[in-house]
Amino acid sequence: METSWSLHLLSEILSAFSAEDPQNLLSVLNRVAEAVDAEAAVILHGDAVRWSVGLGDSELQLLRASHEADPAPLPIAAGSLFTYWAPMGEHGRLVVGRLEQGFDLEERSLLRAMARSIHLSLQLLDAIQAEQQSQLRAQHQANHDPLTGLPNRQGLLQALSARIDCPPAEAALHTAVLLVDLDRFKWINDAHGQAIGDELLVRIGQQLQGLARPGDLVGRLAGDEFLLIAPVASKQTARELAQACIDAIAAPVPLAGSELVPSASVGISFVLPGESASEVIENASMATYRAKGLGRGRFALFHPRLRDQARKRLSLEEGLRHAVQNGEIETWLQPIYRAADLSLAGFEALARWRHPGFGLQAPASFIHEAEDTGLIQEIDLEVLRQASTAISRWQEQFQLPVLKLSCNVSARTLVRSGITARVGPILAASGLAAEQVWLEITETSLMEDIQATVSTIDELRQLGLQLAIDDFGTGYSSLVYLKRFPVAVLKIDRSFVSGLGSGNPGRSEDEAIARAIISLARALGLAVVAEGVETAGQQRCLQALGCDYLQGYLYAKPRSLADMEAELAGAGGGAALSGPPRPTRRRSHSQRV
Amino acid sequence: MRVAASGEADSATALDAAYAQLELPSPPRLVLVLAAPRYDLALIGAELERRLPGCAVLGCSSSGEIAGGEALRQSLVLWLLGGSGIRVSTGWGQRDAQGSLRLAATAAANCLNQLERRRHTVLLLLSDGLSGDQMEVVRGAYDVAHVDVPLVGGCAGDDLVMHHTQQLHGHQVLSDAVVAAAISSDRPLGVGVSHGWTPVSEPMLVTSSQGTELLSLDDRSALDAYLDFFQPEAGIEHDAQGFASFAATHPIGIRRRDKIEMRHITGCDPDRRSLITVAEVPTGALAFLSQGDLQSVLGAAEASCRMALGGLGRCQPAGILLFDCVARRAVFGEEQIHQETERIAASCGAVPMAGFYTYGEIARTKGAGGFHNQTLVTLAIA
Repeated sequence: METSWSLHLLSEILSAFSAEDPQNLLSVLNRVAEAVDAEAAVILHGDAVRWSVGLGDSELQLLRASHEADPAPLPIAAGSLFTYWAPMGEHGRLVVGRLEQGFDLEERSLLRAMARSIHLSLQLLDAIQAEQQSQLRAQHQANHDPLTGLPNRQGLLQALSARIDCPPAEAALHTAVLLVDLDRFKWINDAHGQAIGDELLVRIGQQLQGLARPGDLVGRLAGDEFLLIAPVASKQTARELAQACIDAIAAPVPLAGSELVPSASVGISFVLPGESASEVIENASMATYRAKGLGRGRFALFHPRLRDQARKRLSLEEGLRHAVQNGEIETWLQPIYRAADLSLAGFEALARWRHPGFGLQAPASFIHEAEDTGLIQEIDLEVLRQASTAISRWQEQFQLPVLKLSCNVSARTLVRSGITARVGPILAASGLAAEQVWLEITETSLMEDIQATVSTIDELRQLGLQLAIDDFGTGYSSLVYLKRFPVAVLKIDRSFVSGLGSGNPGRSEDEAIARAIISLARALGLAVVAEGVETAGQQRCLQALGCDYLQGYLYAKPRSLADMEAELAGAGGGAALSGPPRPTRRRSHSQRV
Repeated sequence: MRVAASGEADSATALDAAYAQLELPSPPRLVLVLAAPRYDLALIGAELERRLPGCAVLGCSSSGEIAGGEALRQSLVLWLLGGSGIRVSTGWGQRDAQGSLRLAATAAANCLNQLERRRHTVLLLLSDGLSGDQMEVVRGAYDVAHVDVPLVGGCAGDDLVMHHTQQLHGHQVLSDAVVAAAISSDRPLGVGVSHGWTPVSEPMLVTSSQGTELLSLDDRSALDAYLDFFQPEAGIEHDAQGFASFAATHPIGIRRRDKIEMRHITGCDPDRRSLITVAEVPTGALAFLSQGDLQSVLGAAEASCRMALGGLGRCQPAGILLFDCVARRAVFGEEQIHQETERIAASCGAVPMAGFYTYGEIARTKGAGGFHNQTLVTLAIA
């Protein structure tokens, strides 16, 4: 027996729904109208028309003004439009209109069933869309950095993998990976707080996006590391792109009520056959480290030999994390003498790391990593602790006069809050008076972080400590700061000292500079220490210029606490460390020796 | 209204010959070009634009033409409409590989918005019958025309090669396209539609279909159900043209509210054992295998004409335009095809008459639907 026509048309409507194409709903509406030979089908949601077939604006306005309870046909231009309104729950109502003929019972039943079907389908579509959006959101979140909105490490790895699998269509193009690492970002975070750091990161992300060309991809790899994946025609193009990144980032940024001048180092690697995305990024990372080693605001290309360096560095970094706890950080002292009578005035404390595998390490081999990782503060404080304890004890044990202790302090140590709270107890425990301690800070780092270090320096001044400006004359000091901070000592850099007393007319500027520094110190009431004194000529010259203190291999090279104590004990105290100049062999020095 | 035709093989010669037959009392508003696939539509369109400045040019390729009360083959037919009470605007829309035929039709139908409306308006559509579900053409045009404007038209043909059809807008030749002319007149316009096809099988449930591919009937592969029922020549499913010719007279009907709607079968997929139709046969529908019967098809021709003339009220027809399914021509055969055109001429009187054999017909006068197959659609103009 043949079944009812309406059953089959309902079946057609149900078959027509598509979860893949929500726009298909309009076709469903067409089918509803076609099924009952109606001219119009409309979905009304409240007074709003969500979908409509067959009616123009004026007819729809008339329909909206009518009501389902009123069975009277609508007088439209084409004739009398009989309507039937079928409920669709929260999705409104299905209104079907036919010219000149109302709907019989079977049609009304069909239309209600169709409305119910549309309602259920819309619910299903809503749920599917919500699920799809949720999945898209989750996918986006998994692949994007919430702070900058840029692809994150996972997103970058996926994108780079895709480019490795499907290289640029033009054979002449290579995929370059530029790892942009902000210089000293941790310092900015420490000094100004994470909110300012975040703001800077967002700004830099935008700057890099501004530089990206069509086809390039910018993402945030981690922390202060950004990645630019770029198809390039040559290494030169990659270099130019890297320089453009460096230049853009170097623009001054008004943040935190002052002007930050960030800088970035860029490592460049290229996708090579057989390499994974992780390896390419790792190569760029090694190149970045190399770039940082060249100085801030530089770029470097990856070379396979960087791998060996990276391995050694990694080993150093890992060891450094436990160096303080394991007692591997040693304090060495170099005597400082009064220029007038060459009597012992004090010591400069210097850090050494006795690495279990590599032996004794000079600061040059680990200070950079220590600053990067933030471990420098622990090292600085450990050296202060060891040196102050030893000197305090020696003063008593060997009946020494009051000695000065000059301790190197990283600017990064000074910008971290809470340092004063740790210095006080260390000095108290050692028994050394705060007034005996000079904290040596390099001129350059003091100037760079002047805003951030002000409060810490003020706190240290209240403890009684004084500042010694290391390497004075090598930077661009403002004299204002010499007055503003509790600076007690200027240290003339060894680069100026080396040219003194040689009789070489080409080095007469060194003498002029030394003279100027000493005159300045006199005028401001500061003491002057000349470091790196290696010859009797240099000593005579410095004495003639009126320098207060002398330090260098001419008198003594740095020695461990144990050696120094043994010498003091063997020679009956400080007398052993005084006396006529004793020439020693020349050697080159790094900033911290 | 004027009609001219030529069977000259060369496009320029055929156009010259047809054009020479025209006696134009005033510049026409619209010239419709109905041409066998062998003609260069671009050349003809450009030449007509040159000869008839200000006159809209529209047309398509065909699978047989009608002019002067005769069914023609391999001919060029011109249908010209003019007069002070007539206004015309034209438009076109084309779909690309991912595009929607519905949107293409909507784009073409937007010409209604440029039309200077008179009392009676109709939207004439010519589409590519080989370019997807033609129901979407009607739906897309209806999105613009709404309830007020009837739709008429047909799908371009290619002599049953079923490979490539053309649509003409001005001198622009298109495929996968819909071209449209909105015609508005002070005098009535009548539309007639009738098919006369008869279901011959028991009803079957469409258990699977995707767009214009009918996959299964009563859970059996559609092609096998079709071949088993009609028992055509063995292996015909591997002969595309032979199958198309057979299927032209053996369509499938689907049950609607108060009628059976025909769906023309244009081909099959012997590997997937499916049937390809010119418009969707929806899953869930009740389907019948159908067959043409000469007398009922003839009767339908007369019914279509009478219906169109009825739409003119008391006005006399100035001419008629016919969209006749290519399958109907196959039912008559070349020897008897004259019977249909004679019956049309007898029904309409001695008025200019033109038309073409189509791969699908469009006539929306009532309800929202309006795509037909195996049907004669008549547009009568007073």
